[in-house]
Amino acid sequence: MLSKVTSASNLGLETIPIDVEVNLADRGLPAFEIVGLPSKAVDESKERVKTAIVNSRIRFPTRRITVNLAPADVPKEGSFYDLPIAMGILSLTMQCKLPESSLFFGELSLEGTLRHTRGALLLALFAKEKGIKNIFVPKPSANEAAIIKGVNVYPVESLNQLLAYLLGEIPLAPAQYQETKGTQTYIEPEFDMAEILGQEQAKRAMEISAGGGHNLFMIGSPGAGKTMMARALPGILPLLAEKESLEVTKVYSASGRIPPQGSVIKIRPFRAPHHTISAAGLIGGGTNPQPGEVSLAHRGVLFLDEFNEFPRSVLEALRQPMEDGHLTISRSRKRASFPSRFILIASANPCPCGYLHHPARACLCSRREIEKYRKRVSGPILDRIDLHVEVPVVDVKEFSREPGLKKPTELSPQIRLRVIKAREIQSERFIEEGIHTNAEMKNKQIKKYCSLSKETKQVLLAAVSSFKLSARSYFKMIKVARTIADLEGYQEITIAHMAEALQYRPKIHVED
Amino acid sequence: MESVVKINDPKYPALLKEVKDPPEKLYYKGDWDSVLFEKCLTVVGSRRMTSYGKQIANKLVSEIAGAGITIVSGFMYGIDATAHQAALEAGGRTIAVMPCGIEIIHPEYQESLYKKILANRGLIISEYEGTFPPALWTYPRRNRIMAGLSMATLVVEAGLKSGSLITAELAKKFKRKLFAVPGPLTSTFSQGTLQLIKEGAEMVISAREVLQSYGLKISKLTLSHRVGGIGSVSTRFSTLNKLEQSIIEKLQQEPMEIDALSRSTEVSASQMGTALSLMQLKGVLFKEEGKYYVK
Repeated sequence: MLSKVTSASNLGLETIPIDVEVNLADRGLPAFEIVGLPSKAVDESKERVKTAIVNSRIRFPTRRITVNLAPADVPKEGSFYDLPIAMGILSLTMQCKLPESSLFFGELSLEGTLRHTRGALLLALFAKEKGIKNIFVPKPSANEAAIIKGVNVYPVESLNQLLAYLLGEIPLAPAQYQETKGTQTYIEPEFDMAEILGQEQAKRAMEISAGGGHNLFMIGSPGAGKTMMARALPGILPLLAEKESLEVTKVYSASGRIPPQGSVIKIRPFRAPHHTISAAGLIGGGTNPQPGEVSLAHRGVLFLDEFNEFPRSVLEALRQPMEDGHLTISRSRKRASFPSRFILIASANPCPCGYLHHPARACLCSRREIEKYRKRVSGPILDRIDLHVEVPVVDVKEFSREPGLKKPTELSPQIRLRVIKAREIQSERFIEEGIHTNAEMKNKQIKKYCSLSKETKQVLLAAVSSFKLSARSYFKMIKVARTIADLEGYQEITIAHMAEALQYRPKIHVED
Repeated sequence: MESVVKINDPKYPALLKEVKDPPEKLYYKGDWDSVLFEKCLTVVGSRRMTSYGKQIANKLVSEIAGAGITIVSGFMYGIDATAHQAALEAGGRTIAVMPCGIEIIHPEYQESLYKKILANRGLIISEYEGTFPPALWTYPRRNRIMAGLSMATLVVEAGLKSGSLITAELAKKFKRKLFAVPGPLTSTFSQGTLQLIKEGAEMVISAREVLQSYGLKISKLTLSHRVGGIGSVSTRFSTLNKLEQSIIEKLQQEPMEIDALSRSTEVSASQMGTALSLMQLKGVLFKEEGKYYVK
């Protein structure tokens, strides 16, 4: 007796159909075999399926059971084959007919209930793409999948419940998408911009960074407030647009980071890995490729504190994902592509001891040490950072002494409104270009969308010679000026916009 | 071009002979010109100079060198290099006393300064031959030559227990005049110079004191081509707009960071950034260590 159950497997963000064929042989000793290159987790499925069926008070057939996962030459990973295998067996022993055009997906617990399984959203997307009508997924994973319209997502609680539904004994309604934690329109960020004393220029740089998706490099002594500022950034970023939200949720779903009952992610991710991270941790990797921090920060913020302390090889690996906005992890047996379009916020001390130019403490570093320290970050990486800003140490006493300085500064939501407007202007501008922000512009697009008046160009050219800007910096300044103009709602880039952009030019030299 | 002057050579600097332990030989690079040793001022100071130290070293040295005094210093980065540089820019001549063989350019990134000193009829000298490497003990040894070559030594910025103070002590021992630049009590790099002043070194508040001890006056020429930061909003700045004028006024009182400027003028960081960039391009301001200065 043979039955066939359809399921699907995720590799990275790609989904391929898998046929689960179950045969109960009339002859031979009782046995349970899985073929089709199962991994350890898939092979162990036998014990889970068997025990779950028994604990659901259903008889487990004492016959020779052969399960084939087709296509047989693709290695199988993961625990979600439990449900299709169990359904294959039960459809034969219980004489229940499996519905047409359906996918089964989910991990079983020994008591016969279904557990939260990673990748349900990808499965729903795949079903929609292939025109498959129904998917049966664990109840805790149903919500993230239910965001996809046009596919019936059945939330399965247990084997018994599913069997009863399939035998027509009880009804089962497809899950309705519900917004849960993480989807509110505005989540209180850790810090509000107004809580940061002083730092007027750095805060402005944050706004420009958010407004145009520009990478930002902050240099300042310990205690200047670099980390605090980075953590306030999510508060001025707009929510993810619908398309972006799906992109981000896909990555999180594929790597099992959506909590049970979780819905799609609407808030831009903020990732802050420690500088001891490995290249694979940052970029992604593994024999079964998993997304790294760059992909988890997709459409959000990747904050690298103590930038100069990251191993050079790790930083160099950032180059391609920063440039392309996506990356492919190739391993001998598998490869997977992940998106990686993020805002990089890097912060570093000005010197190894951290107190160069500090108003109250002496720096103990020699010039050679300082240069060596700065050279740890390569030119090509710095070239990909549009905004460079110094974060001086703020004398907190000064603010408490002079109450006049403590005037209420702008709150994050106010800044956010400008950012949202600027981003709207940009998405309209780039509607045919396939990019979202000014930061993503290539030189060709810069020429097309950022025409400079004669006077503005003169200012830029004067800056090139007196500040010794590189050719790459030349274009970066135009991009930044474009964003500044967008924040103010100007169509034209004026001299004022360009002059302000020059404030954020790279500061390479120790003396600068 | 490597040559050597021995202690019994009539060309050997007379002042250096008076020192307790004069070097037997002086290796040198460049054209030995005895006039060079007639009126020398040794300028020393911290390697980690502050922007104040740099500003003062620049101003004093250019006026002193402009008046025809040879500037002797140690070719280290910081005050030393600033002194050599300022002397050259003022059209003066300068002698670098190396802590190593004269073939070694140390620190090596100052190669262009090394060449400029020679190109402007200056000298590179050392008691060590050829490619003798610098060592911890060569620095204090070298300092006695620096102190010994000049009638007077000027200390611009020095921390307590610094190499500059060693040179200053030697100058005192050799009965040479000692000048020190005062600085804020809060700065670590002014502790040494303040200590020297307390102990009797002459406090320098302008190049005049130094030049007087050589019987010289500041030449008008040098005064006109180098304007210090002092003075009211002069005609030079009359083309600037109101915000720019008030920025100049604030900065003449005290160099400031952009954030402090934006707070004290109550102008947004964005507008302030625009103004400062344009003023920097106009050549009215310059930026150092994050702070803006009036040129």
